[in-house]
Formats: sequence, structure tokens, C-alpha cells
Amino acid sequence: MVNIDDLKTEAKRVLKGGNVKYIIGYGRASDTWKANPVFLRSPEDVDKLVWDPTCFHNLVRFLVDEKRRKAKEKPPDPRPVGIVAKGCDSRAIVVLLQEKFFERMDVFVLGVSCESTGMIDERKLAGKTAGKDVRRVAFGEDQKFVVETDAGTLEIAASEVLADRCLDCIANVPVISDHLLGDKTKRTVANPFRAVEKMESLSGDDRWSFWKDQLKKCIRCYACRSACPMCYCEECVVDTINFAVTAETSAEEKAQRIKWLEKSPVGSENVFYHLVRAIHLAGRCIDCGECERACPVNIPLRMLNKKLEKEAKELFGYDAGFDADQPALISCFRDGDPEDFIR
Amino acid sequence: MDKILAKKDYSRWLEKLGSYRIFAPRKRDDVWNYEMVTAPDAERLEDVMTAVPAKGIVFPQREPFFEFAETDDGTRITEILPEGEPVVVFGVRPCEGRAVTLTDDVFGGEFEDHYYWKRRNATTLVGLSCGAPPSPNCFCLSVGGSPHSKEGLDLLLTDLGKTYYAEALTKKGEKLVLEGQKLFTAPGPEDRKAVDKIQAASRKKIRRELSRIENVPAKLRGMFDSPFWDDESMSCIRCGICTYLCPTCHCFDMADEVETSTPLLGKRVRTWDTCQFPDFTMHSSGHNPRPDKASRLRQRINHKFQYFVEVWQKYQCTGCGRCISLCPVGIDIIQVVEKVRDHGA
Repeated sequence: MVNIDDLKTEAKRVLKGGNVKYIIGYGRASDTWKANPVFLRSPEDVDKLVWDPTCFHNLVRFLVDEKRRKAKEKPPDPRPVGIVAKGCDSRAIVVLLQEKFFERMDVFVLGVSCESTGMIDERKLAGKTAGKDVRRVAFGEDQKFVVETDAGTLEIAASEVLADRCLDCIANVPVISDHLLGDKTKRTVANPFRAVEKMESLSGDDRWSFWKDQLKKCIRCYACRSACPMCYCEECVVDTINFAVTAETSAEEKAQRIKWLEKSPVGSENVFYHLVRAIHLAGRCIDCGECERACPVNIPLRMLNKKLEKEAKELFGYDAGFDADQPALISCFRDGDPEDFIR
Repeated sequence: MDKILAKKDYSRWLEKLGSYRIFAPRKRDDVWNYEMVTAPDAERLEDVMTAVPAKGIVFPQREPFFEFAETDDGTRITEILPEGEPVVVFGVRPCEGRAVTLTDDVFGGEFEDHYYWKRRNATTLVGLSCGAPPSPNCFCLSVGGSPHSKEGLDLLLTDLGKTYYAEALTKKGEKLVLEGQKLFTAPGPEDRKAVDKIQAASRKKIRRELSRIENVPAKLRGMFDSPFWDDESMSCIRCGICTYLCPTCHCFDMADEVETSTPLLGKRVRTWDTCQFPDFTMHSSGHNPRPDKASRLRQRINHKFQYFVEVWQKYQCTGCGRCISLCPVGIDIIQVVEKVRDHGA
């Protein structure tokens, strides 16, 4: 099991030595049972670190902010940023390295193995603890979670409350790290595409009505995009902010500014938004499931990404985020690549 | 007007409300939301905190204002007003009732927003008082509310086990009770006592507190340029959850949605907007006064605990806790405001 003291010791060592600018990790405020992202700047801060089944967040998302911040630093601090990364998160780092978003030396990875479990799904847990106030969740023995509530402590089999993305996980051990904690035994998953295959077995009409129904719920808060480490576009298609206007810009030019989609949360716009996002993640999504977890109305967004993951796997034998030395799927061509769609 | 309604008669009451569009909390895909009731006979009143608040019923996320069309005789503008058909919302939490009184202030007064009022005046809000906090992050008591506040509601129901104690608070509320006819009976003295007991107990069950915030508006005024906001917003991911799901947030955008360009045909619509998005304050000059997440978090807190207080002498937060419970990174408005309170102390 990952020993939190080992994590703290290593974090303290690198912070003390001034080897990293700061460390992005998981902490917890006193009033909540869920972990939060924390930013550790001094060796004393390491006591804030926690490691439990509520460390859901993919902290790699904050490396995107860091890059923007660094661009404004004068002079830029060349030290890497430390980051606590689970298996899925480490794959996100690999994708960003493949895409040359940053360099390997820009990041110091404190890898944590999820071992034989993973992170809980809050909604699944709520189903098991109905009416009780959850105070703490911890990793227990025998693939069980220990859930402390205001009405006593429960032991719940991990398989019953694990997030779906963890049940489908193909990287329980970080694939890249500078310091790795926890058991390194890789877990195998019989079929990570079960949900997609079930969807594929439906008729086109049924699939369309399913998605129309689901996407109707979208309130366009963009939490799915905002939580995603791969959504690092300077200007997202949903916010038109880079249209420079001068005194000479005519009303006509302003009016003709490209507006890709309306803010209205109606079917056509919602579908457009979600499909644009899904396509942009093809061959890049590493299934951290943050989009789905962040969604306040519980749209099964993972399934869209998982479908494209399956396409990449079947057509190109490609799994995103395992090898930083390989070119990204979208930016390479190999002789053996299928081309039967070219006519 | 106080009455008693047997719980088993709740669905029969709904059946008598055929002239209304009825909304009530429904669970779909593990998420509670107010949804339209299509089969009143199968209905029971759920005691929950929905994800999306009831505000969308009076202030919809998309509201068309008018249609514009280019015709042979020039441009034709046709106003689109909400129909104003009667709506009743069941299971409204007292904090949401209070929240509606705040949007009433914003959309009322000197410049009355008739799109808002057309819906608002046609809406009857049936509150369900909170015997126990419906969310672990409830903190209504700290911001001037209570688990059984009547503000903004037309009717307040209190769960007495086998019955509901119904207090009609407005004419609209009374009308709803009258529609129920004989389903409602006169309460006995023991019923009122039971209500008082539940209400007293419910106040003690609220776990979260935001205390001693009297000086927060003044504190905020002095913290506009503080690096505090950089630190507090480090974990913000810039999504719109905290504001879109806030029952009191009411900022909006307007846009012309063009359906065809030749001949020109389209609608001018109002949609929800949020201070958390980059184009919220984007000027056409290219300048953006809220360019980063620090200034956007500050905007959200300042609006609720300074600007609104300066204009309306009340907090623009009713303590429902949605922004805390649903924030993907656990930013906690209680903790942020407490830190403001203690800042530099």
C-alpha cells in the first residue's frame, strides 16, 4: 500500500533541496471528506498531503495553468513542478510530452500506484451510504474501502463503489515517474470497452435518441472541458475572446466574427460542443474520467471518448499516453496504417 | 391559512392541479433536478436538494426576446413574450425561495424585466421546510435564512410524518390549497406544536457555519488587489458550475442567433452567463478587466458579499451549498469568506 509518510518524505526532500518550484498534490480541508488539489511551496506544507480513494482529480490539468504562468515570469523559473500522479494522470503527462506541450525536465513526477483498487465514484458511494454523512474514506484490506460516517464505519468492497474508469483502467501503475510509490503489479482488465460495445450493439436510431436525451441535460458549464488536461487550446471554440477590435473595425466585421456555436443550451449546440470535444480528444484521451466526474448532470461523457479510444486501438493499435518517445497518433503516418477509407 | 394534508393525498392534490404545469424534484441518472410532472397520480414529494436550482423555471437559461426578419418591406421585429401559463414548483427549499426574492430585486424596481415577471407572476412556489439539512454543505442560518424560511414562497409544507402541515403564505398559495378542496383539513393544536418542534430541532442539525461575517463587505473592499485571490484560485479550473448552479446568480448574455442570413432571419436571445468564463467581461476593444481566474473568483465572492450588499443591503448567498458540493475541485465558499474575514487580522 502507498505509505503516505513515504510520499511526504520525498516531497519534503525535493522542496527542501529547492529542486522543484512547488508540488501539486492532494490535500483535504477540515470540513470535507473529499480530497482537494493543494499546492505545496515549503517543506512544512507536506503535512497537508493525503492519499485516499477520493484523490480523483487529474492534477495534470494544473500543469496547463503552470505553462501559462511561466510564460509571464520574468525571468522564468526553470525548475520543474512536482506533481502527484496516478496511473491515468501519468498517461496524461506522456501525451503532453508527445505533443511537446512541455519538456520532461519541466515536471517532477511523484507516481502513486492505485494498486488493485482506484478512486471511488461519489454517486455510487451515496447509494451505499444513503442518508449518512460521510466523514472519511480510506483504502482498507482485501480490496475494501473503509467509509467513516456520522453513523458508524462501513467496509465496502471496492468493486461496488469504484469509478467506472477505474474498473476499466489499463494503467493502475504510473507509466512515467521520478519517484514511484506503492505496489508495481500491473492489473489486467478483460475488456475495457464493455460499455462502448453495449452501445454499439444498439441500432443507429436508438443510439441517436440516447445521446439526444443525454446531451439535452447539458447546461454548458464546460466543467468537462475545464477539468480536462488535454483541453489546453489557447482559445476554446466556445469562448471567442481573441477577436481584436480597433477603432477602425467596422460594424460589419464585428458582426461577421466567426461564432462557432451559440450559448443557448439547445440540442444542436450541445451536440456540436460535445462532438467537437470528443473529436479533439481522439487518440489523446487517457480515460482519467474527469469530464464525467465533473459533470453536474451526469452525462456519460466517458463513453464518447472511449469510443474514439476504441477506434484508435482497432485501426492503429494505439493506446494513448504510454510512450513519450513515440509520435502522437494524430501527427504520424505509418506504412501499415489503414487507408481503405480513401477512395 | 394553515391546513393539514395527508401524505397519501399528495398525488390526489396534484391531480386536481390540471390547469398548472407542475415541476417537482425527480431523480434521473442519479441526479436530482426539477422536472415536469407528467403522471401526478404516481407522485410523491421528495425531500432533496436538486443539482440545478429552481431559478431556471422563472429565469430560463435561454429566453428569446424577439424575432428579426428581413422582408420586402424592410426589417420586421416581432416580440416573443413568455406565455405566462401557470406553473407550480413543488419541493422548493427555503433557501431557494429566499434566492428568488433576490432575483426579484434585480429584475424588478426601476427597470422591470417583463420577460422575468411574466414567468415569475405565473409561478407558485411550494416550499418544503428542511427537517434535516438536505445537503451536508447547507449553511442557510449563517446568511440570514433558516431551514423553514418563508421568504419568496407561496406555500410552505412541513413534513409531520404521515401528514404535511401546509401554511399558505400568499394568495397564490391559498389558491393552490383551495384547488385541493377537501383533501385539506384544519390543523389541531398538536400539529402546530409538532411543526414548532421540528423547526427548532432542524436548526441544530445544520453542520456548517459561516460566522462573524459582518465586516466581510468592508474587508473585501480593501482586498481588491490582494495576492490572496491568486492563492485561493490556484485550484480553480474555470468552469461555470458554481455560478450556473447558484440559485442567486443571475448574470446573462445576449446574442443574435441567426437562422438564415439571406434573407436575414433570427432571434435575439438572453442566455445565462457567468463571471467564470473568459468572454464574460471581454470588451470589444480587446481589453478584459477579469482576465484570469483570480479576478474571476474575486468577482464571484465580491458580488455576493460586497457589491450586492452595497446595493441591496443583503448577502447574495442563501447558503444552499451547491457551489461547494458540486465544485469539481472542492473550492468552498465558506472557507474563502472565512479567510477574507480573518485576512490581515
